[in-house]
Amino acid sequence: MIRAVIVINDQGKPRLVKFYDYQPVEKQQEIIRNIYGVLCSRAENVSNFVQDSTFGPDTRLVYKTFATLYFIVIFDDSENELAILDLMQVFVETLDKCFGNVCELDIVFNFNKVHTILDEIILGGQVVEMSSSEVVKALDDITRLEKNPNSIVRVPKSISGWQGR
Amino acid sequence: MALSGMRGLSVFISEVRNCRNKEQERLRVDKELGNIRTRFKNEKGLTPYEKKKYVWKMLYIYMLGYDVDFGHMEAVSLISAPKYPEKQVGYIVTSCLLNENHDFLRLAINAVRNDIIGRNETFQCLALTLVGNIGGREFAESLAPDVQKLLISSSCRPLVRKKAALCLLRLFRKNSDILNVDGWSDRMAQLLDERDLGVLTSSMSLFVALVSNNHEAYWSCLPKCVKVMERLARNQDIPQEYTYYGIPSPWLQVKTMRALQYFPTVEDPSIRRALFEVLQRILMGTDVVKNVNKNNASHAVLFEALALVMHLDSEKEMMSQCVALLGKFIAVREPNIRYLGLENMTRMLMVTDVHEIIKRHQAQIITSLKDPDISIRRRSLDLLYGMCDVSNAKDIVEELLQYLGTADFAMREELALKAAILAEKFAPDLSWYVDVILQLIDKAGDFVSDDIWFRVVQFVTNNEDLQPYAALKAREYLDKPAIHETMVKVSAYLLGEYSHLLARRPGCSPKEIFSIIHEKLPTVSTPTISILLTTYAKILMHSQPPDPELQNQVWAVYSKYESCIDAEIQQRAVEYFALSRKGEALMDILAEMPKFPERQSSLIKKAEDTEADTAEQSAIKLRTQQQASNALVLTDHRPANGAPQVSQLGMIMVPSTSNVDQNVVDQPLTHSNGTLSVVDPQPPAQDHAPAGDILGDLLGPLAIEGPPGVSPQSELNNVPSHEGTLGANDALALAPVGDQESTVKPIGDIAERFHALCLKDSGVLYEDPYIQIGIKAEWRGHQGRMVLFLGNKNTASLDSVQAKILPPSHLKLDLSLVPKIIPPRAQVQCPLEVVNLRPSRDVAVLDFSYKFGTYLVNNRLRLPAVLNKFFQPIQVSAEEFFPQWRSLPGPPLKLQEVVRGVRPMSLGEMANLFNSLKLMVCPGLDPNACNLVASTTFYSENTRAMLCLIRIETDPADRTQLRMTVASGDPTLTFELKEFIKEHLVSIPTAGKPPAPVAQQPQPNIPPIASSDPGALLAGLL
Repeated sequence: MIRAVIVINDQGKPRLVKFYDYQPVEKQQEIIRNIYGVLCSRAENVSNFVQDSTFGPDTRLVYKTFATLYFIVIFDDSENELAILDLMQVFVETLDKCFGNVCELDIVFNFNKVHTILDEIILGGQVVEMSSSEVVKALDDITRLEKNPNSIVRVPKSISGWQGR
Repeated sequence: MALSGMRGLSVFISEVRNCRNKEQERLRVDKELGNIRTRFKNEKGLTPYEKKKYVWKMLYIYMLGYDVDFGHMEAVSLISAPKYPEKQVGYIVTSCLLNENHDFLRLAINAVRNDIIGRNETFQCLALTLVGNIGGREFAESLAPDVQKLLISSSCRPLVRKKAALCLLRLFRKNSDILNVDGWSDRMAQLLDERDLGVLTSSMSLFVALVSNNHEAYWSCLPKCVKVMERLARNQDIPQEYTYYGIPSPWLQVKTMRALQYFPTVEDPSIRRALFEVLQRILMGTDVVKNVNKNNASHAVLFEALALVMHLDSEKEMMSQCVALLGKFIAVREPNIRYLGLENMTRMLMVTDVHEIIKRHQAQIITSLKDPDISIRRRSLDLLYGMCDVSNAKDIVEELLQYLGTADFAMREELALKAAILAEKFAPDLSWYVDVILQLIDKAGDFVSDDIWFRVVQFVTNNEDLQPYAALKAREYLDKPAIHETMVKVSAYLLGEYSHLLARRPGCSPKEIFSIIHEKLPTVSTPTISILLTTYAKILMHSQPPDPELQNQVWAVYSKYESCIDAEIQQRAVEYFALSRKGEALMDILAEMPKFPERQSSLIKKAEDTEADTAEQSAIKLRTQQQASNALVLTDHRPANGAPQVSQLGMIMVPSTSNVDQNVVDQPLTHSNGTLSVVDPQPPAQDHAPAGDILGDLLGPLAIEGPPGVSPQSELNNVPSHEGTLGANDALALAPVGDQESTVKPIGDIAERFHALCLKDSGVLYEDPYIQIGIKAEWRGHQGRMVLFLGNKNTASLDSVQAKILPPSHLKLDLSLVPKIIPPRAQVQCPLEVVNLRPSRDVAVLDFSYKFGTYLVNNRLRLPAVLNKFFQPIQVSAEEFFPQWRSLPGPPLKLQEVVRGVRPMSLGEMANLFNSLKLMVCPGLDPNACNLVASTTFYSENTRAMLCLIRIETDPADRTQLRMTVASGDPTLTFELKEFIKEHLVSIPTAGKPPAPVAQQPQPNIPPIASSDPGALLAGLL
């Protein structure tokens, strides 16, 4: 299970914080501080993995840096480390598609949209979709709904297009 | 993408961003929180847009780390908003802010449920996401059926179904009763046929959670998983959007292979072949390429395939290929792959006997100990620790010592501990062990816990040959200009005891020893001063004839400390001073410390404990448990029944400490104050050393009775709480009489181990501090083959090993030759052939004995060759069942009994119990849902294969009683089986007692009913 997805910048400021098992806010901040402490002391060209008891027993951490941001996923032993790296890549590619070459400011000012995107990829600590084009499709639907909240259902119930796949 | 922006929100965010410091930020945030609070108070006039904006602001503030303790109601209320934008905010913010026990969630349940069962898919998705992210118990109880319906609905879009699958998973974790195992396994199998990759991916995650909980119920899904692997890895039959850098959905491949690791084996040869073909393809077809993302994806699949091969490949078809691949990985440039290569090699050590091949990579692994990445260094240390044995211990430990000098602080303690443990476990000779520990203290004294130096003292005390060497080494270290305080302690202790053995060497006269130790006194802390005072007393005692000059020096020290503020030091000074004036009498009182009883090393215990702490409920752990009997290192970590305290207490022998010295010292001064006595303990067996010779006997347990008023128990309790800060004089040197173990106690409950082995085919049968007996069995029809694994856990050999089988009359048992001696740290395997002649519940007994030192240990152990091992579960259909059932009309072939005092269990638990006994529950045969029908085939030489049918009728109102009917073609079998099941239902079974004649319940007459309805038929038959 994925325990948390966290994005912080190179100053340690949180940009996206999503825990899949509830932690009180002080604990969340403590974890973020610890992570920042560990990550900023890591050199370049080292592995993307950190195992440290400060994140809780049996947890692992995978991180990846994109420009000024650290993307961090904390998860337990039931996940595969490299597959989590793929997952982060899919998340970032999706952000790229949505914002067009995403940068830290996009995430800061659209943190609510980032939450929407994340919810299309991870649900309850499990991956719900790994195809970024599928995620973008779902997000397009949502955007349409936000613009025109009265259009209720986009797709007629009995469409055969998706069934045939 | 252009989601609608909110100006007020953007302005707020940029203002917070522009704050120059944390203080300004807090002011700005507090102002905003005040503003929001006021706005929420007068809710009138708040437009939905504004409400939405404020709730987003709250989430932003929360993310920055400020507690938002109000406004939860507003967020929750937005869930029931009619329009999407507000509803979405309500759902997202609620799922971030509230935990599953929050009262407000209860208020939202109805709104959430309406969205789930409503016709708006987008709302369904939002609701499912919230429930999946929060996953409360109440949600589980009230929403699970609706979520289940969505998942299996054929009219729902994949978008909704994939979320329903994960939502259901979360609810299942909260409450596993929401899915009825019987019905759900078929559904699950159907879901794994899904064509849509999104739904299939989510379903596979759900499946992983289900099989990790209970794989037995999902055997039917195993072939489906193999099909998915074939579809992805072989046929590449998936839509373009699901290939990732040219690889067909790596994520799904990984999940599928993870799911397969929860099944102990793949039995069907054709399925196994198909799976191995796919795995082979993955192992062969993965190369390291330039593109990092592609590399990650392809190696994610590859490492999962490796893990699966390690798990399944009991025949070692592909194992050497795996080791070769791992050997390649640990040397590649890509750090992630190096890391995982090392980690997987460590795992491989645990599950297979590829030790020798892995050793070939030792040089490379040692290189990784100097990797720039601490994550990799840690993995390398773990692997070196795991692969160390007698043959390479010297090399590895010396590498670790060398590395200790430059290692980062974060790793030093672990390094020191691991080096100490390896040195102790695999020391080729004891002087090397002493060298290693002294070097450890010298190089990393701060990281050497007291346990470590206590242990070296214990070894030296118990090995006379070692004493002059250790004393000499200690003396040499004292010449160094600056030494760690721990070194002062250990040297002072050793020289106090054994410096007289060095007397003729230059620089080793009592006077010289005293003065070099005394030099250190000004630099050490109070607990160490206590040790030094004892050392002086001992030196004085050993200088015969007395040297007046030395005497005066020592007396001067004692009189200086007579008025010390520390009571411990003061007491020692006063008492030693008084004692040393007694001249000759001193000899007896300050004689050498007696030998310590042999005990498990506290260090090794500590290491085992940490391993147990971090063990997780993962596939790897399950696998380890399944294979526990294969390796000595995999001991069962369950604490021994009632014993742990004793063994914990006994482990640490604190060399020189106040209490014992006091005991010793007190005696002559105050004769009334208790008596000093060397107690001859209970002999461990028939064979023990004569009482007078007890000090000469290394293992002879020794006990010193403490005088009244000394409460060793409470102080002993401190001992296991190590971490290096424990003052030496807080602990006690010798265990009191009561704690002394006079016999070798088994680790773990023997009966419990036996019962566990009745249900599984491999595990530990017996364990004590010296030996571990594992068992692995295979059963085929009426024959079986067991292998006993006898593992010597010690550095000394076990002698006079004897194993005899006392077979019951119904079994033919043939044990191969058991060697008389088991060498140190070796494991011997003894195959045992079993033939079942006829049905009986009697149990075979292994009469086992060995000698370790003077201990003669003898145990009679029940062997798990019990009735159910000769069952072969068989699923019968209604067409087969009823004719059989009818053809066995009544006693003695069919017996019925009302069983009372049944251990209360749900029908599901009972079904699991039956299945675990290899009595296959056949659902659907009995029309009454409270009943249970099971069948199996029993094999013995007399009966051949014989079908057994069982029916249990339970009373939902009273779970403690039930009616059981058992039928088979053999009267003895029927009776034995009935009693066997009864034993398991009533309580923990006590197998082994002979069947007593039991009055049988009169059998009701069965009127023949001609009906084609199986339900009516069965009811009539009974």
